[in-house]
Amino acid sequence: MDCKPSDDQDVSETLPQNRVINYRTILLSDIDSENQTFRITTRSDSEDLLISIRRVGLTQPPLLMTDSAGYTIVCGFRRIDACRSLGWRRVFAGILAKTVDRFKAAQFSIADNASQRSLNLVETSRALKLLDKFSPDDQQRRDAGQALGLPTNNSVAQQIKKICRLPLAVQEGILANTINLAMALELGRLDPGCAKELSWLFKELKLGLNKQRELLFLIKEIAERENTSIPLVIAEKALQEILKNEEMDRAVRRQKVRKYLRQRRFPAFSRAESNFRKWVGQLKLGNNIDMIPPRNFEGETFSMVLRFSNRKELDDLKTKIEQIIQHPALGKIFDE
Amino acid sequence: MQISKLFIDRQVADHPITQSIQSSLKLPFEVVQTAQQVYDAVSSSNDPVRQGKKCLYLTRNRGAFLKKCPGTHYYTCCDYQILHIGSFCHMDCSYCVLQTYFHPPILQYFVNHEDLMAELDTTLGQLRNKILRIGTGEFTDSLIWESWTHISHLLIQRFASQNHAVLELKTKTTAVKPLQNLNHKRKTIAAWSLNTRHIIDTEERRTAGLDARFKAAAECETWGYPLAFHFDPLVIYDGCEDDYIRVIQNLYSRISAGNIVWISLGTLRFPPSIKTVIQKRFPNSKIIYEEFIKGLDGKMRYFKPLRIQLYRKIVTCIRDHAPNTVVYLCMEDDEVWRKALGFIPADVGGLPHMLDMSAARHCDLKIGE
Repeated sequence: MDCKPSDDQDVSETLPQNRVINYRTILLSDIDSENQTFRITTRSDSEDLLISIRRVGLTQPPLLMTDSAGYTIVCGFRRIDACRSLGWRRVFAGILAKTVDRFKAAQFSIADNASQRSLNLVETSRALKLLDKFSPDDQQRRDAGQALGLPTNNSVAQQIKKICRLPLAVQEGILANTINLAMALELGRLDPGCAKELSWLFKELKLGLNKQRELLFLIKEIAERENTSIPLVIAEKALQEILKNEEMDRAVRRQKVRKYLRQRRFPAFSRAESNFRKWVGQLKLGNNIDMIPPRNFEGETFSMVLRFSNRKELDDLKTKIEQIIQHPALGKIFDE
Repeated sequence: MQISKLFIDRQVADHPITQSIQSSLKLPFEVVQTAQQVYDAVSSSNDPVRQGKKCLYLTRNRGAFLKKCPGTHYYTCCDYQILHIGSFCHMDCSYCVLQTYFHPPILQYFVNHEDLMAELDTTLGQLRNKILRIGTGEFTDSLIWESWTHISHLLIQRFASQNHAVLELKTKTTAVKPLQNLNHKRKTIAAWSLNTRHIIDTEERRTAGLDARFKAAAECETWGYPLAFHFDPLVIYDGCEDDYIRVIQNLYSRISAGNIVWISLGTLRFPPSIKTVIQKRFPNSKIIYEEFIKGLDGKMRYFKPLRIQLYRKIVTCIRDHAPNTVVYLCMEDDEVWRKALGFIPADVGGLPHMLDMSAARHCDLKIGE
């Protein structure tokens, strides 16, 4: 079925006209696709639409505004891309009356997108910013946002609005669910190059928020201490060797990256932890005894946990403790 | 920081000291009904800490003037008493805990000297059988008030009139001129906070340079004052050990070892809340990025072996120059004392006793008189 409109076809009479939208066929070349003012969607591909338009035609006309040079897209960025890809010269579209202002156009754009799917965070952010930009006052902005199903809580809306200003890599991380809103906003406080590198790292390692925060803290502080940049810390050879080692599964790489960065940030402390583990290992405590160092090795009191279920087991532990007391490794633990 | 505005508590507007400060400073002033008006003026600023250093609030101390030093559980405290003459400071050290200690921090001076002196008289009278070490340099710098007040003169005279307590004036300034020609009877210790040139240059904004501090200390020595020095905070950075050793060499080349009552050492420690203040107010400062752990008092401290290593170096250097100088650690535990100094306070009767004895020796103290 060829649904391409013929150049002389006039289908304007097939749709009811009103004072707000007039439907007519226009030249695709008259549409300014560079102007992304009203773009809400985060999808840039139009492959799926291309297939359906080729098969059944354009069932929902895009919505445009006239401007001095031609037309600005209000709704239907992907549809127009698809029509262009299909080699069409003309398209049947709704044209907003000149009496319609940009605030109203923004609401058309948001409603059109929201009616097709739940808006993701980036799209919600773009929608909120669009209302901010064109709304004549706060009350009208709030009313429109509420009517269009956008977040109405002011502090939430304020946070979400920041998203569409974040570096692209962070926005992509949000869309790919590798970065949540809280982390995205933290990354937004860094310079775009740093945010990009960290977004990449988080994507590579698929980390939860707490682990992301831990790595961000470690990397930032290493960079601060050494007067270098976050991208340079991430680019360090030892770290890259872990990240690019495809023989290690992701969980192992995650663990090694965290360990490496902790050692870089807290070398003396990491050494002490490692030595403690080494000396405790030499004590051969077995499964029923744990030795716990003072928290942060700051106090002087060590703890020992004994597990037993009867007198005999406790007696065995007593013997074991006597062996531990005599063991030279115990002295090393106290001397460290 | 240049003080640019004076707030005056309505209740002390007619106090002679208020009027004297007003006429010395010649600044725009505002009489306020409540402290809240001052807090609001400071808190509304983008940088309340900076703003708090530019406004001087003259008021009266409604609480106690003498307070125990807020030492914390677990770490050994020297049992010092603070004489609360005012709070905060117009110098601007990145690591200063006063930035978050007061909410909001405000340069505040108490003009009710009559109450201060009465309380001091009572305490000195009641505790005649005890050596007291009292200082004004805990909530503020002891000598920043010298240009507009005569507080040191007043206190030095009062301490000179008794025999069992010493006053320690601790400073990073060189404002010692008013101390000259006073009959202090060695009951006032002039003390300086010392650091390396690198730390003074990078972290101690608007303080006197190291040479200037030594020069002021040497002047005080010639005027007969016993001296003390506080290496607090000791800051760890690449090359810090050599730098601190140079400071100690410099110190002993300019000051008589026998006139030093004590030297305290304390590595950098801070409540966690200071970190964000430093990051915001001193973005070029690197001091918070060393290896800190949360100590048993909740403050961030260098990892213990790092503290011990630095203390050892410094103690060795001090002992090489002056084996008899009393050196103590501020807020450390027995393990650190043992490893850094080779003994624990209990071996010498406790830290307060150790310092009392040194004060008694250097300042001719006698108890029970």
